[in-house]
Amino acid sequence: MKRKYFPFSAIVGQEELKKALLLNAVNPRIGGMLVRGEKGTAKSTAVRALGELLPQQAESSGGKGTAVVTLPLNATEEMVAGGIDFQETMKQGQRVFQPGLLAKAHEGILYVDEVNLLDDHLVDIVLDAASSGENRVEREGITLVHPSMFVLAGTMNPEEGELRPQLLDRFGLCVEVQHESDPELRLTLMLRREEFDRDPDSFADSFLDQEERIGRSIFAARSLLFSIRMPSHLRGFISELCHNSNVAGHRADLVIEQAARANAALRGSTEVSVEDITTVASLALIHRRRDASPPPEEQQSEPEQKEEERNEGEQSQEEENEAPEEGRENQPQKEESDGDDGANSEENESTQPENQPEEEMGDESEGSGNEQLFGVGPSFKVRSIVSPKDRKMRRGSGKRSRSRVSEKQGRYTKSVMPRGSNDIALDATLRAAAPFQRFRDNPNGMAVVLQKEDIREKIREKRLGNLLIFVVDASGSMGARGRMAASKGAVMSLLLDAYQKRDKLAMVSFRRDGAVVNLPVTSSVELAARMLQEMPVGGRTPFSAGLVKGHEIAMNYLRKEPLGRPVVILVTDGKANRSIGDSKPLDEAFRISSNISKEERIRYLVIDTEEPGLVNFEIAHKIAGLLGASYYRIDDLRADTLVSIIKTMTV
Amino acid sequence: MKYQYTYPFTAIVGQEQMKLALILNIINPAISGVLVRGEKGTAKSTAVRALADILPEMQVISGIPFHLSPDEDIETVRECFAVSGLETPNPEALPVSMQKVHVVELPVGATEDRVVGTLDLEHALKAGEKRIEPGLLAAAHRGILYVDEVNLLDDHVVDVLLDSAAMGVNTIEREGVSYSHPARFTLVGTMNPEEGELRPQLLDRFGLCVHVGGISDPKERVKVMERRFAFEENPERFCAEWQQESSALAERIVRARDLYPSVTISRENLLGIAKSCLEVGVDGHRGDIIIMKTAKTIAAWEGRGVVSSDDIDRAVALALPHRVRRQPLQDMVMDVGSLLGAKCVTK
Repeated sequence: MKRKYFPFSAIVGQEELKKALLLNAVNPRIGGMLVRGEKGTAKSTAVRALGELLPQQAESSGGKGTAVVTLPLNATEEMVAGGIDFQETMKQGQRVFQPGLLAKAHEGILYVDEVNLLDDHLVDIVLDAASSGENRVEREGITLVHPSMFVLAGTMNPEEGELRPQLLDRFGLCVEVQHESDPELRLTLMLRREEFDRDPDSFADSFLDQEERIGRSIFAARSLLFSIRMPSHLRGFISELCHNSNVAGHRADLVIEQAARANAALRGSTEVSVEDITTVASLALIHRRRDASPPPEEQQSEPEQKEEERNEGEQSQEEENEAPEEGRENQPQKEESDGDDGANSEENESTQPENQPEEEMGDESEGSGNEQLFGVGPSFKVRSIVSPKDRKMRRGSGKRSRSRVSEKQGRYTKSVMPRGSNDIALDATLRAAAPFQRFRDNPNGMAVVLQKEDIREKIREKRLGNLLIFVVDASGSMGARGRMAASKGAVMSLLLDAYQKRDKLAMVSFRRDGAVVNLPVTSSVELAARMLQEMPVGGRTPFSAGLVKGHEIAMNYLRKEPLGRPVVILVTDGKANRSIGDSKPLDEAFRISSNISKEERIRYLVIDTEEPGLVNFEIAHKIAGLLGASYYRIDDLRADTLVSIIKTMTV
Repeated sequence: MKYQYTYPFTAIVGQEQMKLALILNIINPAISGVLVRGEKGTAKSTAVRALADILPEMQVISGIPFHLSPDEDIETVRECFAVSGLETPNPEALPVSMQKVHVVELPVGATEDRVVGTLDLEHALKAGEKRIEPGLLAAAHRGILYVDEVNLLDDHVVDVLLDSAAMGVNTIEREGVSYSHPARFTLVGTMNPEEGELRPQLLDRFGLCVHVGGISDPKERVKVMERRFAFEENPERFCAEWQQESSALAERIVRARDLYPSVTISRENLLGIAKSCLEVGVDGHRGDIIIMKTAKTIAAWEGRGVVSSDDIDRAVALALPHRVRRQPLQDMVMDVGSLLGAKCVTK
């Protein structure tokens, strides 16, 4: 289909984005680019405009047809990797291969809009082809290898979640785009857009000269590319740059060199200069940079964890690590946080209004000093605590997946030999039957005769995830003795885990007069984290309001996802002192607890933040009993145990 | 089948903001849709259907279910015929018929196959050939895609919607078929915020956002009941009674459509738009563009050739509420004017 594109040269501002696009147009060996940024910033427009600039490339190198192949998010596996061509196979009586998108993208660009939403099974296929440069087809009776060298281009809005690190690394360059803040530029932008919408053709014509000029400069740069010299001392400079940025692997070095060559070619020079390197370096480094080497525990337990996650993981660990230091040295937090961690200072601020005496902070530091220990012994202990729970939940999940299949919900992603789900993948069945049609009797006049052995079933994927509802006590009592900081640390580690799992989250806090939904059900962990940092503390404890609100969210979710198993995580000291109705706050909390525990699909986890002392009220413990909840004292918890508890609850 | 009478648009009581937003979208589809937030039973779907009913008919290429305009690029036409398993007719003499603007409803439980289209299995079994069975997106091209309870849609259906709403194209790589077809539609969504918010990305795709509530004036409520009763008792007579107003509205819409291309907006007003978007904090540039388009459309609707600052104020109230970058904990700002203060909307 022919589409009308907004001309490349008509895009207002976004110089870095345009630069990266041009570099890629000149030198495909840079390996594509990722455009990250807020919505409505011409991300897709720009990348698609690149497609308009590229056909010259395809023609000049004798390549075939389309230079940009779009991979839609909802593609099925056989369309990406290739499979049997049903129609031709029927005609010829032997298996005919229908090339997939990976074949079409060979020597071109594979473009994925909203690439962070791409399903994992497709990401795997694409990664496989991207790293080996060929696509191995071993499906539907076809065995075949074909070359598949493509440039990956993608756009994403980080609000919707992050990318897997291996995939991130595949993009040669990365550009972060933002909206223009100059009103004059925005004005030009509005006018051009309106003109384009009114008459795309004449608008494109008015930019024809500029488009052609860019086209010519790309063409000239391409022919110059192979005669460009790279002074060897500059290679040293590149590797130093990469080393200083703590970049994993060597891809960054190679990308910078290729991009610098392209930049030199665009300048019309035959030798790479230092400026060429410095202008392109940030584009190649921004998504590969690590701020510091990750702690070994993290590396071992989650080798596949992505860069950013690791960074954030560090942050939350640092949070806990820094807390005691802060206590001992009595130093302002901000000096220590090195500017890399907003959470720290925010938390500190949120606790400070409670007039926290310094000695108490020191006291607190001992508590979190324990958290710092990452020993083998304690983690064994944790396993034994959760193992009965574990078994129970597995049964639950088994039930869930069975009913999920029978419900035939979710996105059809690929087909398999029958497993008794009764969810027949007719397209795959037809493909399976196609090669044998010549040899089958055809009694009923249909073109295709299906037999039992042809039947294939659908594999569906649904991002069911889990819903974690955090109900956080933000009353004044939580601010005391740094409880809130510790709670936030614990919640933050859960958030990071949810991030990888694509869980959904909601957050409720209760303080003063009632409970507020800080965060409605969302998959954006970023939002949740920001939310957590900004959560203020103070006032009374309307405990039952929090309970009710959390329950309400869970019930709403269940209405939508009857098979979901939401987990409500209560972080509180249980000292209820404000009720919704007329009865005493505590009685009300108990009554509500035992009432809402009747809904069996909702599971509860109570994290008790009460300070152990001479007089313990143990209210949270009692409430946990009424709710049928798992109960943990915050001092028993380290971030990773908390995560493992949730894992076993939601497997 | 008996002719189904549609409750006349002009007979809907109250809900002025919603009616205006719908009309503006019909005049200028580039405003890209409206999100109606509010309670149940506030004439949301009645209004959408009623509006489509009074609109002038449009030319479509007949024979294929893609609602293509006769002006469509010939390559696209050829491709759409091909995937339907048909020969492309002579480009000089395409079969054209007149059709009403259609309202396609996307049910919350819709499967992805139904939305984007899939392999025509019956044809595959009978004839052994691949043919496309187009989905709702094809049906909605040049019409209205109405999504009730849009916040309850499955995530992956939302992704698909986002993609085609943004590009005006639906691309399929599924179940052995590979094709794309134009899918430009006016997206009308309704939601009850109590059941959860929309993903920000999808929120941003709706050009305008209006909030509807029940009518609180008892007299007005009585009027709602009276009219509804009259309609149900004798739809034919009721529609006839409103016929004159309906055709007047249709004519006014057509006039506004014709006027729109010549509506002008001053530089100061444009700068004012840009500044107010910057001031309240809006992601990206879609806000600016939509406000400008909406303001121009309002001017055209009022029969004026020049955008006034009042038009811009009205456009801001429709286009910004759902775009103001907010803290995750905040409720949606329904009164943008209060954020802006008096000075920044140009006077």
